[in-house]
Amino acid sequence: MSFYWYENDHGLLDGEKMAMAKFFPAFKLYKLEDGSGRIYWRGKVQPTGKGGMVWDLMLIYKNDHPQSEGFGGSIQILPVKPRLKDIAKQLPIDNDKGLGLGLPHIYRDNFGRNEEYFICTADPKYFKASQTRSTSAASSLSWACKWILLCEMWLNGEISDDVAREGVY
Amino acid sequence: MSNNPSGDADAVAARRRALAEALRSGEDVVVTPSGEVEYKDEAAEQGHTAIQVPNGKLARGE
Repeated sequence: MSFYWYENDHGLLDGEKMAMAKFFPAFKLYKLEDGSGRIYWRGKVQPTGKGGMVWDLMLIYKNDHPQSEGFGGSIQILPVKPRLKDIAKQLPIDNDKGLGLGLPHIYRDNFGRNEEYFICTADPKYFKASQTRSTSAASSLSWACKWILLCEMWLNGEISDDVAREGVY
Repeated sequence: MSNNPSGDADAVAARRRALAEALRSGEDVVVTPSGEVEYKDEAAEQGHTAIQVPNGKLARGE
């Protein structure tokens, strides 16, 4: 049995590829060059449409996909550009408002030799993982686009801290 | 080309607000291949293959 989910479950990998080809065909699949064996999708999205920011994203599978828990499960969403850490360091930190890292609904984790900030996607109770069903990269990306819409509106002052923190989107 | 840039910006902002409210109220909203969040009917009219945005809360974060 392999350490890597994509070598153990070819059906799941094929399903992931089909979902991304159908819904986000511009995203391409790669393997991290850090020796971790983790695979990832990379591509660009523009959730708020014309005039909105273009986000260059990596969707990185954890090696225990699809079983992970917390902050959105086994697929981590890392904005390469804009980089969340760069945006967050220009913002005030407010732990009482759920903005402990400066932005709503983000978390930090090690990535290579650096600590990076990632987008939280589904609340764990909405994340689907079982023997027969799992949240796909395509689904996680749709969550991320919701987050980006929320984040851009919050940065523009179009929604309040409370609404952004609640995250009912 | 529009001769009313501020009007365009206002329209874009109004659309964002409407989409956000649609998401909050659980209406059918989708994401197109370009990553744009759109109304389901609008995407269908334009012939986009689009993924339904799941309902539910974003994880809280740190």
